[in-house]
Amino acid sequence: MDRPASRLDFAVIGHQDSWANIHTFVNRIRTPEQGTLSVEKVKAIFPFIPARDLFRVTVTSRTGDTIKGVYIDTFIEPDKLGVTNLRTNLRKVEDAIAFAKKLEAPIVALGGFTSIFLEGELSPYASSNTRFTTGNTLTSAFIVKGVEQAAVENQLDLRSASVLIIGATGDIGRACVGYFQSRVNNLLLCARNKRRLERLAGEVKAGGGRCTSAIELSTLLPRADVIICVASSSNLALAGVKPEAIICDAGYPKNLFRDAADRPGFLFHGGMGQVEGGYRFEPDYTDSFYQYPAPDIIHGCILEAMVLAFEKRFENYSSGRGNITVEKVEEIYRLSLKHGIALAPFFNDNGLCPTRPKVSSI
Amino acid sequence: MKTATPSLTTSETFSVVSDLFSQAITGELIGMSNFASLAETIDDYEEKMEAVEHADSERSHAEGFLHFAKEAGLQVNINLEGEYWRSVREQFLAYAGKRDFIACLFIQEVILESFAVSMYTDVGDALGGEAGKLFRSIAEEEKEHLDHSTEILREELRKDATAFVDKIEEVHFNCMTILAQFSATTDLRGHCGVCHGSCMKADLHHVGLDSATMRGNALALYARALDNIGIPGEKSMVWIAQLPA
Ligand SMILES: NC(=O)c1ccc[n+]([C@@H]2O[C@H](COP(=O)([O-])OP(=O)(O)OC[C@H]3O[C@@H](n4cnc5c(N)ncnc54)[C@H](OP(=O)(O)O)[C@@H]3O)[C@@H](O)[C@H]2O)c1
Repeated sequence: MDRPASRLDFAVIGHQDSWANIHTFVNRIRTPEQGTLSVEKVKAIFPFIPARDLFRVTVTSRTGDTIKGVYIDTFIEPDKLGVTNLRTNLRKVEDAIAFAKKLEAPIVALGGFTSIFLEGELSPYASSNTRFTTGNTLTSAFIVKGVEQAAVENQLDLRSASVLIIGATGDIGRACVGYFQSRVNNLLLCARNKRRLERLAGEVKAGGGRCTSAIELSTLLPRADVIICVASSSNLALAGVKPEAIICDAGYPKNLFRDAADRPGFLFHGGMGQVEGGYRFEPDYTDSFYQYPAPDIIHGCILEAMVLAFEKRFENYSSGRGNITVEKVEEIYRLSLKHGIALAPFFNDNGLCPTRPKVSSI
Repeated sequence: MKTATPSLTTSETFSVVSDLFSQAITGELIGMSNFASLAETIDDYEEKMEAVEHADSERSHAEGFLHFAKEAGLQVNINLEGEYWRSVREQFLAYAGKRDFIACLFIQEVILESFAVSMYTDVGDALGGEAGKLFRSIAEEEKEHLDHSTEILREELRKDATAFVDKIEEVHFNCMTILAQFSATTDLRGHCGVCHGSCMKADLHHVGLDSATMRGNALALYARALDNIGIPGEKSMVWIAQLPA
């Protein structure tokens, strides 16, 4: 495919997390004369559209540098992320990857579900100059730094706290385990696969960390001072949680029930960053994509590709599962701060949380 | 007598299969007429001969479908004056009248062939047997037309991307709007004038098809054709989202 030439610095592959967003997006494109389409009609068209670039993104660094990228949607149906649709969804991700390669993007973030391609042993980048990253390292950085910040604001001493990680054996979960195992009193680890979970708990203990693991979330919830949700499941319930617990839901789609934000305690959507120099979409779909209660917020995984593009480090920075080290978390976080990409202000479904994190600097 | 499909025994399947053949034959005859008119718009003698050859290939497709339908005893209704087919043809003729080769090529070889290739493939897979084989083999031949136009249109885009994209956008809305109305779950401009009785879409399930999937697959192929030509995704997304549904 020959495209009108304009050099790209990065691309982002993603999917929408709700039909409500897709409905808004499609109708936002339509003119009043064309009329509004019902959700049902949108559902009858959207999943058939092959992967394509929907808008261009321009990002400005604190250093004054500017980079240009594109957002490529996979058109994966938000309510069909489960295993029954795995084959169809993988094909859609493959299409999007081929699209990114055709556009000759030097670095591509595989956001949300699409990171599955890099976490498995599938190698989409063998024969091209395009490099791929799950973006999980910067996501992990924003999660752990966010939890630390929230602990300070809520006067919780992490060294005496029990930190529950739901999805502990996952890529981001393991990164969080690695980061916190020497920084907290006790880790509570949860995932559904007992064997993998026990192996991880064994590793933590062998490294001198204290931890308890269980596949039944309900047994761990009442003991947790901090809960990090990084599971690939949604609609998890939080019965029996301490009222003052700090909860970081970094799932995409969100791990917790929508009404979780109404419970007492401190709940924020983690893994998110904010771009000091701002980002711009063309066409401007900011009212349909990335709608957050404060400006210039994006997912850590997407920001990782931007940071790497600013740094001209075109490498498969985050790939595979369980490869995120504390050193890499610190490195990417430092690089992101260099470009004015910092932890997003705390927010949840109800809007901004009453307190705001102090923006860290190097 | 040939058996188009083993399930032709019920009156519902007989009626749906008859309508599917009626649409295919009518579409092929429209294609034949379009290619013949396209030849008029071309100065290059080699391309002119090719257009006539394509017209002949559409004729032979129509003949193939017709022959099969007669053998199978289907009830075929050919109507080039039906609401949607006539409107598509009028759009084509308007551009042919202006000797706009690129617009004509886009209508016939991208828009119509995308729908033909996709829908014939779906019908072929669903019907199976001899009828299925016929639909699939014609889909394969139509695919060549789609590929043929891509090269020419890419070259055109290379010459002046802005002017080209603007032109294609105009043709898209003039012509795809009609096909979108035609292929919507309920005909948005009334009866097509080809199907017997009421619209066949509600009865497609009798042969294992459904109109939403057929329409979706056709739009998907069309979107890929636009990608192959080099139309930016952000444009084609808007064009598709703005169609009637
Ligand atoms: N905020 C961001 O920027 C961002 C970026 C990337 C990813 N994410 C999100 O972060 C989450 C984790 O991503 P990942 O790449 O680390 O995924 P992953 O490697 O697939 O790990 C998922 C983990 O969740 C566990 N799990 C799944 N369902 C569970 C349940 N019901 N209860 C307990 N554990 C469960 C899995 O283990 P078992 O299968 O054994 O249960 C596994 O440990 C996903 O929701 C992802 O979309 C967010």
